[in-house]
Amino acid sequence: MTVVETVSEVKPAGSVDSGPTATAESTAKPPPFKDPSFMHSGIGGAAAGKKNRTWKNLKQILALERTLPWKLNDPNYYNIDAPPSLKPAKKYSDISGLPANYTDPQTKLRFTSSEEFSYIRLLPTDVVTGYLALRKATCIVP
Amino acid sequence: MASLERPVCQIFSFQDCKTSPDPIFELPAQCLTPTSAPIVIDNGSFQTRAGWGAPVAEFASPRLLFRSVAARSRGAARSETQIGNDITNLEPLRWLLKSQFDRNVVVNFEIQELIFDYVFTHLGVASEGSVEHPMVLTEAPCNPLHCRQMMSELLFECYHVPYVSYGVDGLYSFYYNNYHRNIHPPHTGIVLSSGYHCSHILPVINGRLDAVNCKRVNVAGSQAASYLQRLLHLKYPGHLAAITLSRMEELLHEHSYTAVDYHEELEKWRSPDFYEREVHRMQLPFSGKVPGGCVSVEERQERRAQQLRRLQEINARRREEKLQQDHVRLDKLMAVQELLDDGLLDQFHKSLVELNMDSAEELQSYINKLQLAVEQGRQKLLHSDGAEGKMEVGVTPPNQRKIPMDEGDGVMLMDPDFPEDTLPEKPANVVQPMFNMAEYHQLFVGTERLRCPEILFQPSLTGEDQMGLMETLQYVLARYTPEQQEALVSNVFLTGGNMQYPGMRERVERELLAMRPFQSHFKVTMASQPALDAWYGARDWALEHPPGGAAEGWISRQDYEEKGGEYLSEHCSSNVFIPMKLAKPVAARPAESSITTQTSTAASAGISMITSALTPSCSTVAADVSMVTS
Repeated sequence: MTVVETVSEVKPAGSVDSGPTATAESTAKPPPFKDPSFMHSGIGGAAAGKKNRTWKNLKQILALERTLPWKLNDPNYYNIDAPPSLKPAKKYSDISGLPANYTDPQTKLRFTSSEEFSYIRLLPTDVVTGYLALRKATCIVP
Repeated sequence: MASLERPVCQIFSFQDCKTSPDPIFELPAQCLTPTSAPIVIDNGSFQTRAGWGAPVAEFASPRLLFRSVAARSRGAARSETQIGNDITNLEPLRWLLKSQFDRNVVVNFEIQELIFDYVFTHLGVASEGSVEHPMVLTEAPCNPLHCRQMMSELLFECYHVPYVSYGVDGLYSFYYNNYHRNIHPPHTGIVLSSGYHCSHILPVINGRLDAVNCKRVNVAGSQAASYLQRLLHLKYPGHLAAITLSRMEELLHEHSYTAVDYHEELEKWRSPDFYEREVHRMQLPFSGKVPGGCVSVEERQERRAQQLRRLQEINARRREEKLQQDHVRLDKLMAVQELLDDGLLDQFHKSLVELNMDSAEELQSYINKLQLAVEQGRQKLLHSDGAEGKMEVGVTPPNQRKIPMDEGDGVMLMDPDFPEDTLPEKPANVVQPMFNMAEYHQLFVGTERLRCPEILFQPSLTGEDQMGLMETLQYVLARYTPEQQEALVSNVFLTGGNMQYPGMRERVERELLAMRPFQSHFKVTMASQPALDAWYGARDWALEHPPGGAAEGWISRQDYEEKGGEYLSEHCSSNVFIPMKLAKPVAARPAESSITTQTSTAASAGISMITSALTPSCSTVAADVSMVTS
């Protein structure tokens, strides 16, 4: 494959140092064991073979897989996902990780002791939302 | 605290291991004769392990171990891409890092191609036009057909490999360990494999993966690392930049453990004594030269002493200069005085006007003043010269040094900066900051040590609603008859890098005990090297099952051409293959919507695509050809 580098209009500052070597290397030979005429194909690849092609992500690939005529019991990537848990989630303190019995009504953070409670009340809001986002509990409706 | 001896304080520092670029090995002769040896690659989403499947002791371990990442700065050439160990430190390049994986599945085959290039080059392959070695490659359990197709296409059409075999990493590891424990095939058991992105429950019955009942939990090492990173970010907002993902991985690898009983263990952590004893203090690197006075007391004093010395020198020089000036002026005035004494009155008056003075009295008083000043200055100079040697830092109060400047009369020029310079020193001298810089840069890793590995068992900690590993195991077991369950739990096998936490086996045993019937038996074993056994297993498999003809487990080039890219030849450590005709990729956008119509004509389209791709034509031509056939 002949590597022709289309130099982008503005080079980012970070790559300036590697600039001269990059142009020198662009003419470097690909490894000898490769088929020089090989191009990746790809479903939906209007950009197949193009350098800046975007590859399908897993979600798109799975959506494609679903359209195949699977039988009911055929195992495939998307149906081997473990089902949702049947056990209630245990509650742990957001701060210390210890089992928590209390929830601060104001911040909705869980805590175990009065020290933690006073610590929670001192936390800035971004940290509070950070803790909530960590257990995906940022939903407005409680 | 009553006890006199302080609790052992466990301070650790981050190793921040740097990788060194891999050497380019020579192609060993043993790998070419009598037959070309297979290349074994464990294509993991965390790390790629590659080596030879040759029966030589020298090659009994993977030759290349590197992170499955590629980094290319924008606008740089493709050949400039850094792969794996080329990148000595991942952190500065974190934003550029790309992986061929999306979750545990290869989706970006351009990067996969770069990884293969890297592997083959470093293994010493230099043959012209093709890689004349069979390939053993790992893939995800229930790998999407599209991905296998793309992988086969890459291997057969870009590298022209003669044979390919695909297997599941956890199963290879299972095979390897059973083999070494002298359990003869066909094996039956249940594999719990936890890698970087996903964990799997893989029931194996009579040497075949029972894929219908295998399950995947989307929690593993990377989730634990990012969970830990986020926790510490929130705990130490001041050290945001120092809490890097690489360090979190190190924390997980070196400092974390799985609690046998999570709840009980947490109750222990409640006690301050236990906390003091068990908390790992991670020392972040820091420099003492942070502005804002965050330095040790000795350093402060040293610095102040230096400043004092400098100021004193400047002052002494200035005083000397002034003395000189005064002296010159005094001499001049004395000369004028002499004129008066000599009786040269008109000359004297002229001089007085020049000096801007009115009378002889004024001159006289002026001379007296100057004489006094010169005398004082001279004495002071002598005094300070003598005192300089025995001057104690901080002993000379600034106001004492200020006196000579104040008592100077109106003629002397006040230098205003000197008192300003010294005065602020005074309060700093008194204040003794008790701020410990080192401690400020310590991360206290307490319950996080067990909290992060725990997400494998309780994904709800991170807000995931999926079952945890053991709950899923129970769910899977429930789908079997009691006899089958018995057989499966008699060989519960743990493998994968994320299973290496201390206490993992005990934890699994404990939970199994809870879920199995009373007085039933089970056996839990851990892989000998959880992270590497997949590679060793794949190598052993390749040695036991040499490719050739229609050997089981190998896909030949002919198979690929006849049966399609998604074809899989099953073996004891592989996925199951569900024959399903997959349309050979067509380079057109509408292909996505018309996929179902194309499946019917897939076989012919596939073949036509291959033949056209073989001829060195542009891919758009190839697309046209297959469009016509479909």
